[in-house]
Amino acid sequence: MIEVAGLKKRFKLTKDHKKNKVDDIDPREDKDYFHSVRDVSFRCAEGEVLGLLGPNGAGKTTTLRMISTALKPDEGSITIAGNDIVKKPLLGRKSIGFLSGSTGLYGRLTVKENIEYFAKLHGMKKSDIASRCDELFTLLDMHKFIDKRAENLSTGMKQKANIARAVVHRPAVVVLDEPTTGLDIMTTQTVIEFIKGLKAQGTPVIFSTHHLDEVALLCDRVAVINEGISCFDGTVEAFKQAGNSEELNQAFMNILTEKHNV
Amino acid sequence: MFEVYKKELKELLRDKKTLMFVVLLPVLIFPVIFAIVAFIGTQAALDADQKVNTYVIINGEYAQEFTDKVFYHKSFELYKGSKTFNTIEELKAGVTAGDIDMGIYLPSNAVKTLDSGEQSKWQVVFNDAKSINFLFDRVKELAQEYSDVLQAEKLKSFGIEESAHKSILNPIEVVKVDTADKRENLGEKIGAYLPYLLIPLVLMGATYPAIDLGAGEKERGTLETLLLTPITRTELVLGKFITLLTTSIASTTITVLSMGCWVAVALAFADLDFIKTAFSTLAVTDLLMIFVLLLPLAAIFSSLALAISIYARTFKEAQNYMAPLSMGVFFPIIISIMPNMELTAKTAFIPVTNVALAIKDIIKGTVDYTFVGLIFLATVLIAGALLAFCVKWFNREDVLFR
Repeated sequence: MIEVAGLKKRFKLTKDHKKNKVDDIDPREDKDYFHSVRDVSFRCAEGEVLGLLGPNGAGKTTTLRMISTALKPDEGSITIAGNDIVKKPLLGRKSIGFLSGSTGLYGRLTVKENIEYFAKLHGMKKSDIASRCDELFTLLDMHKFIDKRAENLSTGMKQKANIARAVVHRPAVVVLDEPTTGLDIMTTQTVIEFIKGLKAQGTPVIFSTHHLDEVALLCDRVAVINEGISCFDGTVEAFKQAGNSEELNQAFMNILTEKHNV
Repeated sequence: MFEVYKKELKELLRDKKTLMFVVLLPVLIFPVIFAIVAFIGTQAALDADQKVNTYVIINGEYAQEFTDKVFYHKSFELYKGSKTFNTIEELKAGVTAGDIDMGIYLPSNAVKTLDSGEQSKWQVVFNDAKSINFLFDRVKELAQEYSDVLQAEKLKSFGIEESAHKSILNPIEVVKVDTADKRENLGEKIGAYLPYLLIPLVLMGATYPAIDLGAGEKERGTLETLLLTPITRTELVLGKFITLLTTSIASTTITVLSMGCWVAVALAFADLDFIKTAFSTLAVTDLLMIFVLLLPLAAIFSSLALAISIYARTFKEAQNYMAPLSMGVFFPIIISIMPNMELTAKTAFIPVTNVALAIKDIIKGTVDYTFVGLIFLATVLIAGALLAFCVKWFNREDVLFR
């Protein structure tokens, strides 16, 4: 179980940003700071997939970066199985597998070397690395290209390698930031099947997306963020009810509009 | 930490550009460049030496013996053109127009002038802006020979024996007794310029790979994933730092060894006993001392380059930031070759300058080992401080996620 409560994160505005400010009425900006995440809370239990939704710039990536411990929250807590990973970031890094659409690989290393490298950084033993890699290569149908350098891979192959890299250490929670962006149908399907597999194993998965059909296909819960504040956290059914529509797209629009008007 | 180091090294060794900068450039390209420069320089000097210059002498009959010497000299050929030269201005115009290479103006009969107790001032007109020019020296030499003859004849006319001429003309001769041996003399000349080669190489060996290890990680999108592994930022920085230290030292060592080989080859074919003898006095410990002094310097450059690189958003931005760093390194080297700059308790604390001065003293064989220890200590302290800064830099979100 992962629980996020009252997350807040602000960034100091640079001089250039202040000079070139376009939108003077952004409620998240004050004189010196941009309050990217103002109050975000949600939870995701074992075997659940949570879809993190929100318009562009809502604060989804910042939230996921805080969960992954790349950024430290100004306020709030993130607990995995009762441990606050804000206070114990190294524990968090061992427990979380993170993947984003922009994640890269080391081009001059082979796929196998890339994944083995991250396994070693996670402190895995040599024998365990070999068996885990083999398991993932079979699961993701990667054996044909594991000895190829990453710089020579297609986008789909790269994303498969990235998935393997993200979960090689058997994380307790998997966080995916728009994992299907820019992928073709075949690779998207691989990602979807992989998330289904994680769910079946009982691993909590949090993933941000703009594709509500993926939410319909995979998610048990939905959390919506708008302008850095949580608008909704509940089951998919509750999401439809709150949005007064059976259509997820419409429900999402209605929730955003309603919260905005309030 | 060692996993990061091993991986970074493996990746760098697979990068053709890095290999070019760290290995190929020092092993092949530098010696080739130096050889070409030396060849062109020697050729230019040879051409200047062998060039036959066209000349004109106005009033040549005033010093016939001198005029004859110039005429029969292999480097000079009398102008045979149609133009006539009677004044200094005409000689200047002739040189400027390229009709002649040199004009000599004799204002008076040198013998008569001497008889009247005056000095005859000859004027040599030529273009002195050329970098290699033996013209004036040769004319001066011929004029001096003629002058010596006149001098001797005059003294004889006074009844002074030829054997006494030398003591009358030069009653006092100052003889230099140099306490500096060949090595010290050569060290003063070569030792000052050796840091110009070594220190930038140490810097170059660190900067190029640093761009890949910092800004390159950001640009490829691998930095974030690396930061999410359960290794501390200190381990991460140390892993990258040791990689840069390795490339920096490797690049310098390869270059020095390569140049050593090329110099040995050159010496085997050239008759340069003076240099051979001087360098044979250089002990292995001297070379090791230079190496030991370059180590903390490489650590300073590696820390700086890594800090700059991790601040940059992209590869290109990092390259832009590295340029001022290079200039900043050359400045203290220039200070080290300024007149009267010596290794003292004060200069031992000026980064880069201190190492440059110490290298010079090591080559000269006059180094004070207390200062070497002091420099090593000072450089290690600076390197440590910069490394700590680097770790702090890697912990700052506004640096990592700019």
